[in-house]
Amino acid sequence: MGLVRKQAPQEPEEVAPEKPSVEELLGRLGDPDADERREAALGLGGVVEAVPALLARVGVEEEPRVLESILTTLAAHDTDEVAGGLAVHLASDEAGLRTAAAAALATMPRSVPDVLPSLLAAPDHDVRVMTAMVLADLPHPEARTWLLRMICEDPHPNVVTGAIDALLPSATPEDAPVLQDAVLRFPDDPFLRFTVQAALPRLTGTVQ
Amino acid sequence: MTSDTATRARVLVVDDAATVRLYHSSLLTGAGFEVSEAANGLEAVEAALVTDFDLFVVDVNMPKMNGYACVEALRSENVGSAAPVVMISTEDRPGDADRAYLAGANLYLVKPVNGDRLVRVATMLTAEVAA
Repeated sequence: MGLVRKQAPQEPEEVAPEKPSVEELLGRLGDPDADERREAALGLGGVVEAVPALLARVGVEEEPRVLESILTTLAAHDTDEVAGGLAVHLASDEAGLRTAAAAALATMPRSVPDVLPSLLAAPDHDVRVMTAMVLADLPHPEARTWLLRMICEDPHPNVVTGAIDALLPSATPEDAPVLQDAVLRFPDDPFLRFTVQAALPRLTGTVQ
Repeated sequence: MTSDTATRARVLVVDDAATVRLYHSSLLTGAGFEVSEAANGLEAVEAALVTDFDLFVVDVNMPKMNGYACVEALRSENVGSAAPVVMISTEDRPGDADRAYLAGANLYLVKPVNGDRLVRVATMLTAEVAA
């Protein structure tokens, strides 16, 4: 009798878990379990048709880690639709939401310039302060120019000090006159004066 | 407050803006307080776990953990700080102060805060430490 090669027992094939459909993930955005909502938000990364649903969740999601995931997924699109949808939350009464929205917008250099004119002209000066926070971290070659414009033109001292604070890490000696002019525009604002006086020696290399 | 008594009052200034921290720290240090700094709510809570501060001066809009969440955490069982909290923000919409008091703050001030006023408030709120 010839040798018969024994067949190795067949290992059960590992079946990759089926990837949930976009519809399933969209449904899970409203799941009572925060982990499910978070995974759904991350799973919808790159899915353009999910943007409206994700934007709608931004205003209602109360779990910070889920909100962070939603904003991360949205910011990756960096489109006008997302920028406009997030910009409205800079006026939110919820501090966590407005700062999270600002952080997300600061990662969207392609689309933020399109919403910037309306943000810079917002009647609520707190929105303009938040805009300075966005520009502080926005990786865009014109960010400095916009901050300088805020310092020169904005009528509210809190916005100007916010813009100065945002500008300072990248400020150059050429910016010194702009800062000095800001102090002259708001002579009664002690914090603005302090900020500029603290910054000028570093910028100009002189003791004021 | 004399500098002798003020040195016993430890203040934590919490703000993501370096210039604001520098401004508030300068004012309070100049008035004799012992000042530490934190750049966001999370850093503040971590600092409060290892140091018994006598006063917190906390901004509202900060990354990682905003001011309201920070104050709530300071008042939580985990940290258990009963030290006074002054919240300082640019936000002066109706409800902002209520939100601060609900979180556990003792006072809500809108920026820009006059330096003399901040020192007066800090002195008043740490009077027991100085006594």
